[in-house]
Amino acid sequence: MAAGMLHRRRFAIGLILGLIVGLSVLFALYREARNEIASQAAERSGIISLLSLTQLVSETGPSGDAMRQAVSAVASSDSSLKKISVIKGVSLEASTVPQDSAPRRLKRDEKPIFDLGQRLRAAVQTNREEQVARKNEIEIQQIDNGALRLAAPVEEEGSVTGFVMIETSPSAKPSPPSIVTPIIVGLIALAVFLAVGFLFGEKRTALAILALVILSAALAAYGMMVKRATEADNMSVENKLAKQLSEQSTRSAGLLTQLGITPKAQAKPGLWDADVYRTPRGILTDQGTINKTVLAKKEQSFEQQVNKFQIGILVLCLAILAFFGFGVASKLIQTIVLNRQAYLYVTPAMVAMLVLVFFPFLYGIVLSFTGSTLYNTEKPLTEIWTGLRNYYDILGDFSIVKRSDQGISINFQNFYWTFLFTVVWTFCNVTIGVVVGLILALILNTKGLALRPLYRVLLIFPWAMPNYITALIWRGMFHQQFGVINQIIQLFGGTPVSWFEKPFTSFLTALTTNGWLSFPFMMVVSLGALQSIPSDLYEAARVDGASRWQQFRSITLPSLKPALVPAIILSVVWTFNMFNIIFLVTAGEPAGSTEILITQAYKIAFQQYRYGYAAAYSTIIFLILLVYGSIQNKLTKATEAIA
Amino acid sequence: MKERPGTDEPSHLPLHIFLIIFTFLSLYPIFWVFTIAFSGQQSLAIADVPANATFVERLRAIIPWPKEFSTSNFVSVMKDQPFARWLLNSAIVAAATTVVGVFLACTAAYAFSRFIFPGRRAGLMSFLVSQMFPGTLMLIPLYIILVKWLGLGSSRIGLVFVYATVSIPFCVWMLKGYFDTIPKELEEAAIMDGASPGTIFVRIILPLAKPAVAVTALFSFMTGWNEFILAATFMDKEVMYTAPVGLRFFVGGFSQQWGYFAAGSIIVSIPVVALFMFLQKYLVSGLTAGAVKG
Repeated sequence: MAAGMLHRRRFAIGLILGLIVGLSVLFALYREARNEIASQAAERSGIISLLSLTQLVSETGPSGDAMRQAVSAVASSDSSLKKISVIKGVSLEASTVPQDSAPRRLKRDEKPIFDLGQRLRAAVQTNREEQVARKNEIEIQQIDNGALRLAAPVEEEGSVTGFVMIETSPSAKPSPPSIVTPIIVGLIALAVFLAVGFLFGEKRTALAILALVILSAALAAYGMMVKRATEADNMSVENKLAKQLSEQSTRSAGLLTQLGITPKAQAKPGLWDADVYRTPRGILTDQGTINKTVLAKKEQSFEQQVNKFQIGILVLCLAILAFFGFGVASKLIQTIVLNRQAYLYVTPAMVAMLVLVFFPFLYGIVLSFTGSTLYNTEKPLTEIWTGLRNYYDILGDFSIVKRSDQGISINFQNFYWTFLFTVVWTFCNVTIGVVVGLILALILNTKGLALRPLYRVLLIFPWAMPNYITALIWRGMFHQQFGVINQIIQLFGGTPVSWFEKPFTSFLTALTTNGWLSFPFMMVVSLGALQSIPSDLYEAARVDGASRWQQFRSITLPSLKPALVPAIILSVVWTFNMFNIIFLVTAGEPAGSTEILITQAYKIAFQQYRYGYAAAYSTIIFLILLVYGSIQNKLTKATEAIA
Repeated sequence: MKERPGTDEPSHLPLHIFLIIFTFLSLYPIFWVFTIAFSGQQSLAIADVPANATFVERLRAIIPWPKEFSTSNFVSVMKDQPFARWLLNSAIVAAATTVVGVFLACTAAYAFSRFIFPGRRAGLMSFLVSQMFPGTLMLIPLYIILVKWLGLGSSRIGLVFVYATVSIPFCVWMLKGYFDTIPKELEEAAIMDGASPGTIFVRIILPLAKPAVAVTALFSFMTGWNEFILAATFMDKEVMYTAPVGLRFFVGGFSQQWGYFAAGSIIVSIPVVALFMFLQKYLVSGLTAGAVKG
């Protein structure tokens, strides 16, 4: 009995939370949609007024008294227009503000207006040349309180000579939709659940199904109401615009007859209802009626979008319902309360790690499946989704060697070249580090060697220096003309080398730099291990007549292994990812041949701005490291098992 | 072959010769930086070499000793160049990183060391795994999140949080290891006296773990002071550069102000080299221990 009560209470809580989330999301979307519809209506209405005016001005010509008369007639008859001005070249031909005292030349501080005209002319020209609508032929600017400033070009004999600019009156924001409706819907749903749930008693499955049905029904009902209301809003906007269009079209015709001008071309008011590229939307006809088929199509696509949204919201709410209803939430809360001390201490670090390490990591992996670049980071990921395309482009490109007229050349941008280079780079560096470090450690470990601590401290210096400084120093020393290395070569009669012009010499510079800064680590590690070898081992060996080489092989090396192996493992990963040295010493020169994987990924991201591609590249690097890590893990475990 | 104290001494001479030459060679780049820094010039050549130079003239060009001794590079890099500002940025970033990093690492390490709770193992493992994430894979999303979404480009706050977070796993593992060695009996006594976990943490654990906390702090400081890629990517505005980005600014691209670079490098390096010398034995044991566990 008690458990049953618990079930009902849990499902009720889940239902309430699901309803709150679902209904408020729908409510917020509805409010947004209403604002959007209103602002689009204001924009369209503005464009219609603007284009009807441009049509009028192109009949009268952008200068002259007839045009000024027409403009002032329109301004006095239309209260929705606060200001109209007509500009041709550098002169203000007409303005409905008396202080402007048109016609006159534009003043110096009116340069933005002149520039606007230039922009419009360039836009029309570009769009015509390219045969596409790429640049805005109508400029729209928000002024305060929802008032708009719009400008459109005026053409004379096929070329843009001036433009018309209007300012509309502020439009009232639409009243927010009633909040009572969703509350009532929610309360009804809850009441039904409580009433029917009372009849059902304590059966968990029945309660779950009931809650599911009620939640879905409530969301669907409110969703339907919202959809209906939005459609009605849309329809009333279309009707209003159609009315405006037919009014303005009669007014234009009347004005032209009044001024005694015979129209050069048949007016096509249907074209006035256009987007910013002056492409007609096709919803309103020349007669000022609504084209039902176009409107129906538009509504259909809108409805599909809404349905998608609704399904998403429903899934989210059902997840909430299940989370609370089946007691996952209460168990979670219990655990948290029980261990609240521990979670209190661990939360700050965990939140920081989640936000700045784990989320970016996952986001990076998601990005690797998109065509994200600098220019489309604002777009939703679904729009730029490309699937495995990036991976295919990186891993499926085997054209490492190119044959051309000059012979064979290597494509240094190819992934496999860079990978091969990285492996060679890592191998050489670790070998150099271990050999040099070990030799130095063996020498320093000599018994009774004077000044040993001094040598040790001095030899650690290369490791202690910040590595970006080291890299820049070596870059300077390898300078072709003034660098010290070439001076030394010349001192012994050689010719100076252009280090960064051939892949091999460029590789040598990076290798030298990295070797210089990595041997101290190996030295310190080896020295520590050597000093911990008990000296009686060697004495015993000597008594047995072992040579120095035999002692080294059977005592020194095995004792070094526990310290050296982890150091090597670590230094392989370090060198594999040694960004600073490659980036600052060779910078990939020549032609990207000395790029390692990680610097290549950086360049793709921050010099070519192909974020998605670079993310895929980095994910591949991560997988390589992962494979390396697991192999290394297995190997060390195997050796441990043998030992 | 036989070991006798008397006969051992002379055999060290070749070793000393080798060590002296090797040490000189391995310190040569550092001598070189000092030479350029104190030369009072921007050139990266130690001495001008005429077209038909004699052996002595060429030799002069590689001996790391300035022709004229001058501290003008140090004075003007601090006064005429914005380097003092960049140093200040670095100092602020590194100091804030230390404070934030130590706080986050200490609290988390305490929880991992002293409490058994669901998610403990997963949390510790996730810290280890995160060390494998390659820098650039993090860099692109971090750039989009911090610069494009949060508008924290060219801001020190963004950099501080990234640095502090990136150093968490290493610091937590190290501190946890140290906390584990503190005997539980001390806390039990405190609990009997009615102390809360918070009191135990602040009054008992932290004071006892002072050396480890100090090492963690120094490590965080060095992370913030030495980091180059993130700072170079996030800091667009010249006034917000950190010292590493600024140093590269002197000699990167078409700019060839080697004198400023050398003087700046010495100023930047002195604190880290000193810290490093002090820290190296902890670093070596911490790093190799981490590798064994991983």
